Amino acid sequence: MKRPTLSRRAVLRGAGGIAIALPWLEAMAGGTRVGANARRFVSVYTPGGSVIDNGAGENRWRPTGTETEFTLSPILAPFEAIRHKLLVVDGLSMNSAVGEQHQAGIIAWLTGTTQQPDYGYSHGPSLDQVIASIVADGNVLESLQMAVRWGTGKSHGLLHPINVVNFENNATFDPIPPRLDPQAIFDSLFGALDPSTNSDLAARIARKKSILDFVDRRYSSLGQDLGARDKQKLDEHLDKIRELESALDDMIVPTDICLLPERIDTSDYNPTTGLDSADDGSVLNTQTDEAIPKVGRFMMDMLVMALACDVTNVASLQWSDTEAKHTFPWLGLDQHHHYYQHDGNFRPMECEQIVTWYAEQHAYLLQQMDLVDLGDHTLLDESVVFFGSELAQPPTHSKANMPFLLAGGGGGLRGGRFLRNEGIADPSHNNLLVAILNLFGDERTSFGDPAHCTGPLAGLT
Amino acid sequence: MLKLRSSVVACVLANGCYSGAAAGPDADTDVADDTVTGDGGGDTGVGACEGQDGGLADRARLRRLTRFEFNNTVRDLLGDDTLPGNAFPSEVIGNGFGNDANAQPVSSLLVEQYAAVAESVAARATETPERLAALAPCTSTVTDATEDSCARTLLDDLVSRAYRRPLAPGELDEIVALQQTFRAEADFAGSIAAVIETVLQSADFLYRVEHGTIDAEGRLRPTDHEMATRLSYFLWGTMPDDTLRAAAEAGELSTPSGVRAQAERMLADGRSRLMVRFFFDNLLPISSLSALERDAVRYPKYTGAIGALMREETHQFLAHHIFEGDGSWQGALTAEYTFMNEALAEYYGVAGVVGEEFREVALDTTQRLGVLTQAGVVAGTIHSNESNPVVRGSFLVQKIMCTQIPLPTGDVLAEIKPPDPDSGATARERFSQHSSDPACVTCHLMMDPVGFPLENYDAIGLWRDTENGVTIDASGSVPGTEGTVDGPVELVRKIATAEPTGRCFALHWANFAYGRTHAEEDSCVQEAVTVAFTDSGFDIRELLVTLTQTDAFLYMPAGEQ
Repeated sequence: MKRPTLSRRAVLRGAGGIAIALPWLEAMAGGTRVGANARRFVSVYTPGGSVIDNGAGENRWRPTGTETEFTLSPILAPFEAIRHKLLVVDGLSMNSAVGEQHQAGIIAWLTGTTQQPDYGYSHGPSLDQVIASIVADGNVLESLQMAVRWGTGKSHGLLHPINVVNFENNATFDPIPPRLDPQAIFDSLFGALDPSTNSDLAARIARKKSILDFVDRRYSSLGQDLGARDKQKLDEHLDKIRELESALDDMIVPTDICLLPERIDTSDYNPTTGLDSADDGSVLNTQTDEAIPKVGRFMMDMLVMALACDVTNVASLQWSDTEAKHTFPWLGLDQHHHYYQHDGNFRPMECEQIVTWYAEQHAYLLQQMDLVDLGDHTLLDESVVFFGSELAQPPTHSKANMPFLLAGGGGGLRGGRFLRNEGIADPSHNNLLVAILNLFGDERTSFGDPAHCTGPLAGLT
Repeated sequence: MLKLRSSVVACVLANGCYSGAAAGPDADTDVADDTVTGDGGGDTGVGACEGQDGGLADRARLRRLTRFEFNNTVRDLLGDDTLPGNAFPSEVIGNGFGNDANAQPVSSLLVEQYAAVAESVAARATETPERLAALAPCTSTVTDATEDSCARTLLDDLVSRAYRRPLAPGELDEIVALQQTFRAEADFAGSIAAVIETVLQSADFLYRVEHGTIDAEGRLRPTDHEMATRLSYFLWGTMPDDTLRAAAEAGELSTPSGVRAQAERMLADGRSRLMVRFFFDNLLPISSLSALERDAVRYPKYTGAIGALMREETHQFLAHHIFEGDGSWQGALTAEYTFMNEALAEYYGVAGVVGEEFREVALDTTQRLGVLTQAGVVAGTIHSNESNPVVRGSFLVQKIMCTQIPLPTGDVLAEIKPPDPDSGATARERFSQHSSDPACVTCHLMMDPVGFPLENYDAIGLWRDTENGVTIDASGSVPGTEGTVDGPVELVRKIATAEPTGRCFALHWANFAYGRTHAEEDSCVQEAVTVAFTDSGFDIRELLVTLTQTDAFLYMPAGEQ
């Protein structure tokens, strides 16, 4: 299936001696995995777009230059070291984001569908869930959703159209709540690797199997006695129980690339502080805010290892939600992000500071993925990483010229380039979504709302 | 110059907004009047709806315990008061109470957390001999010879309470067999813990399963035990108590009067206060008053402790008003008294209140009247350091009067520039663009004039006559009503008597009680409830009883069985 490619070690060995054949080098260029479908998908959401216009007509996000010869912008400068595996995708519009300005944006980002009426959710599954059904391969989790400092503002810590990125690939496209507690994430992903928590592991697994087996049979038989809609509700629950059951059989085993991440102390971070939030962001938890950089890094480290250990092939990370009503003490910013976006008038300097910091975090994630050596390629090389937001320009909520980034080499994705997409016939971002899906070997030509999709965006490979 | 941090809500498009009467569905009440027989004594329900057997349109009705209900239930079932359900991912916000049966998706994370929480709750429930003995006294003298019978006794009682019904024939045998399996690998307590861990993940526990039964008239109604469960989760947010179970055993919950008798008993019981508290914590903006961010230099009087007292004021007032006072919603909106303790009275500048205990205090009715003028409610609606008439008005119009104000679409918003926060001394000046810009005026006419009369309260809910040295103009109006008002007291009097207010309150309660989000097809039941509520003089306790007397509560939609 997979075309053999030259491992990094092989190149290094070869470099000391004989000349290396040119086609092989091309196969390695930029980490592109020509001919092999992408295996992993990572989506990273950041709130509040970027600074497409700083108020003086200057785009602080857009690189300058040509597709292959370009200079990264101030906001994208943190990607310099990994730019050979980065594809800057400019010029697209989220035309399917119809509904409440922020909510419709976060809903459309991965679904390409409009918001349901009355502040509802999406009209379709999110891209990651569709990809998960393609690439799932006996993993502990079909997909993993994590969020840092989530549930701010008027969601009061509850699942709300302002804070959902992922939607089930089922009949009702249910919103998927992300995991919030870094310690709980560590325990459920890596507990089995942690010698301090896995005493009597075999006995515990045996007990859990008996329990889930009994519970499974009860859900099945009860559903038979109920009406169709109630049965459907129980069946959906049963599906998830079976996922949990099979996960007990898919315990991860440590290898030289699957390593236990370092457990960071996050006792100063309240993962459910959103429960105390106020609509307007007036309720602050600056201690928790202070811990965001540390928690974010811990979550990224766990995300990388979740992939490296084959816990999952599909992961999402949300940096907050569209309200983004938390402060940035480590940047010296004591108001919330939404305040700088428009609540307190648009403040381009502060917005730029924030989105540049997010760029630094994302560059770290990409570099960590690129450090996982899978022999002839890296983890990043077989992945597609999609970085986006719910809008482009904060004060206007404009969704034209979305600040999208792709990275990786999965499915032949070619990095080291800047796709300006100026003047293309249809800049709708749904075309990007279906083009990403194609990288995973799925050949459909439309994704999301067909009214906003005219076919795969050209130029990713 | 003074830095104004108030964030200004962008003005919104006129789309769909109107400034005329805010009519609810089916404003003509004559039709429904004929169907109302809720005279309190008869044995018929309220508002029979022709051709709609269950009263409500047939949507999914299987309700899953919310975190609030899960916590209360494990407390009552196992004595676990650690609020373990808070570890679950949040409910979908849906109808505002997170309990809409049509919006309860199951995520992988939720099921994983059910398993993790069940494991820890089960471990706690069996970790000491005392805890075990609380489940069944026989455990304290258990021997090899008595172990099996003791396990059987314990599990029969525990599981039937957990499932909120008698066990089916053979069901106990299956559960005992499961315990025996675990016993082979663990000690007695460990085997009981493993069964508890199982039960807490079972559909019979997590969901309020209703099979129903056909009554003498051929209608599908909940069984008596299912009715006990409906009553206890509505009025107490937890599992049925022994009295309710006994009433179900005795077949007393098959008639409207039997249901009414239990509802009245339950409302008189202190456990209903917790439910009422949960309801108002979700209806009013008071659940996070202890953590408002306020500039300590500008507002030295505000502290987290004072915020907590403000929230307590609202709850103490409402509990007293509903359970010991006149009990009407209109009365709650126009009460001439509140509750304070010494620290809170000092905050308000009220003399003569001593001690930590809250007690009834008469209001200066030139400044305050009723729950909507309490410091917590007016402080909890607004932005950090400046008052904001838009969000206050929006809260009153949308949450108290149930008039929806549509938001603009992205295209239009892109053209609208938010007002400059530094553009005026008073909020009325800062938001003046809303009344001059045609793109803003139609929708904002529905919010801003309702918010302006509350400008006499600052960002921490205290009275003021001026803002930045300028006398406050607190005039305004209420959409859908005649005339204008001046100041908060006139405002709340006007809101209290406005037609949508009572209807709206009944609607929130019906959504909460029935675990759904009101839709047009439910208007028959809703209309009957509204009429009964109006006829009772907006009596809140009677409303809660009325909600147990509708077809929606007494029957089930026949469609699917």
